[in-house]
Amino acid sequence: MSRLDADMSGTSLLAWRNLSHDRARFVVTLVGVLFAVLLMGVELGLLLGFARTTSGLVDHTDADLWITPAGTTNVDIAGRLDERRRFEALAVPGVAQVDQLMMQFAFWRKPDGGTESVSIVGFNLATGQGRPWNLVQGAIEDLQQDDAVIVDRLYAAKLGVTALGQTVEINNRRARVVGFTAGIRTFTQSPYVFTTHRNAQRFTFFRPDQTTYLLVRLRPNSDAAAVRDALQARLGRVDVRFAADFARAAQRYWLITTGAGSALLLAALLGLVVGIVIVGQTLYATTVDRLPEYATLRAMGAPNRYLYRVILKQAAISAVFGFAGGMLLVGLVVLASTGSTVAVAMPPGLIAVLALLTLCMCALGALVSIRRVTRIDPTSVFQ
Amino acid sequence: MSAVITLAEVGVTYGRGAAALAALQDVSLAIQPGEMTLLLGPSGSGKTSLLQVMGCLLRPSRGRVQLFGETLAPDLGVEAMAALRLAHIGFVFQHYNLFPTLKAWENVAIALDLKALPRAEQRGQSLRLLERLGLADRAEHYPAELSGGQKQRVAIARALAGGPRILLADEPTAALDGKTGQGVAATLHELAHGAGVAVVVVSHDPRVEPFGDRVLHLEDGRLVDDRRPARSSA
Repeated sequence: MSRLDADMSGTSLLAWRNLSHDRARFVVTLVGVLFAVLLMGVELGLLLGFARTTSGLVDHTDADLWITPAGTTNVDIAGRLDERRRFEALAVPGVAQVDQLMMQFAFWRKPDGGTESVSIVGFNLATGQGRPWNLVQGAIEDLQQDDAVIVDRLYAAKLGVTALGQTVEINNRRARVVGFTAGIRTFTQSPYVFTTHRNAQRFTFFRPDQTTYLLVRLRPNSDAAAVRDALQARLGRVDVRFAADFARAAQRYWLITTGAGSALLLAALLGLVVGIVIVGQTLYATTVDRLPEYATLRAMGAPNRYLYRVILKQAAISAVFGFAGGMLLVGLVVLASTGSTVAVAMPPGLIAVLALLTLCMCALGALVSIRRVTRIDPTSVFQ
Repeated sequence: MSAVITLAEVGVTYGRGAAALAALQDVSLAIQPGEMTLLLGPSGSGKTSLLQVMGCLLRPSRGRVQLFGETLAPDLGVEAMAALRLAHIGFVFQHYNLFPTLKAWENVAIALDLKALPRAEQRGQSLRLLERLGLADRAEHYPAELSGGQKQRVAIARALAGGPRILLADEPTAALDGKTGQGVAATLHELAHGAGVAVVVVSHDPRVEPFGDRVLHLEDGRLVDDRRPARSSA
């Protein structure tokens, strides 16, 4: 007798033995759960990765408020603001600092020919609001040069650059790569090209008094909502939002409005359904095989809930083993995605959600079996 | 001694209308503790239906059933009936109905688990019951590794787990050879006399008859004979 068996309750023992004595069916169940977890994990990880990508630029500034052209739905696509808006904002009580941030699509001509679309991000070098994060090569200060830009390694091949100092053309103006970041992705697949606000204006033909966003830092202890309302009232035809609200708006736009998120959610849902069907089928087959045993238990006086516990524990065992295997594969996918332009995020919260989904999936799969044993006639043991 | 089971004018009818089939008609009897009662009769005479009514597995269509002097409500729910079975009745089946994936002692322990005996005590009690039935050395074996007689004795040990006062056996020797069948019948007889359990055995097997303290004979759903043989084998 193993220690494990001795410590098990009757329902756990029956559940484990029912599964382990039919190994082929158990393996089928586990493979089903494993692939369902893999599908759900990758799709939800992609969804979360995309969500983080769409709002990455907003999330990585420490601005309290974002002032955007009216009707702006996301950080990647926006109109223009006049510089005078910055001075109007600075005049509002509670405002400590207002920085300009530019965002504009442009054409990048690679050193060996060919053109790519890029998103020029122009930030205030003095305050660093909107600066690139995860700089792995080069220095931010090098952007002081007129033609200097920083790009991400993930897109280096796409942009045709391999080393610092290489020159390219942005909208027919000379640009020189002075730094590389790692892991700054873009949802639009037009890589972010970081440069100073002044350089960005030159690259994109903005007038010197034009920008895209104004990033507001508040004075300590100021009433953020009141300052936001005051800014909105003072500036008129612009949108003034908390950074978190703008980040969520960007995520909503790309993932919901464009339908990209729906497709991922649908695929995750498909994984869930496939898992429910596979677990349901194999558990039901196991249950039907063991109906005489359930009838015997019932004849012995077992309440229905005892039988339910056996089936639910079978589902839970399948969930635990299938989840462990599935998460191992998801982990490999996450690891592989770190070097790609598409991120699969897997924070602890999402792992917990996946575990819960897997348990629910297996429990739902057990429902058909539970319905079947509910109808067992204990007198059938005499036939 | 007061009866453990009392049936008064019990009838069981399966189906309705023209298809109705009377399995039991006006059966009245009282089952006493400490004796082995045999239920005999040809196939279709209603023996199993009677056993099911006594075992709280089947609600009679008519009549009254008392368990330890308490009348069972005619509309007693299936869960309440299951609770009565669990508390008072042990079953032994013709084909043993052991759990094939559990070892002998685990088969017994399941009955104790149902009765919510602490897990730490289940193994010890199961082994004691198996030892009482001469199966101490087979405790770690799976049913497939046991002979027919050993399986039936494991089933009896399981039925006795938790100390039921009623033990109902349906053709317990039918699948066993002559000597083994007699051994099982003797075991049931000893339980009745030694432990004071009310043992009711449905059987076609003439080898069992000498062990009965009382013989009930059913024909066409009616109790046609209720006698106490002059000398039991005990």
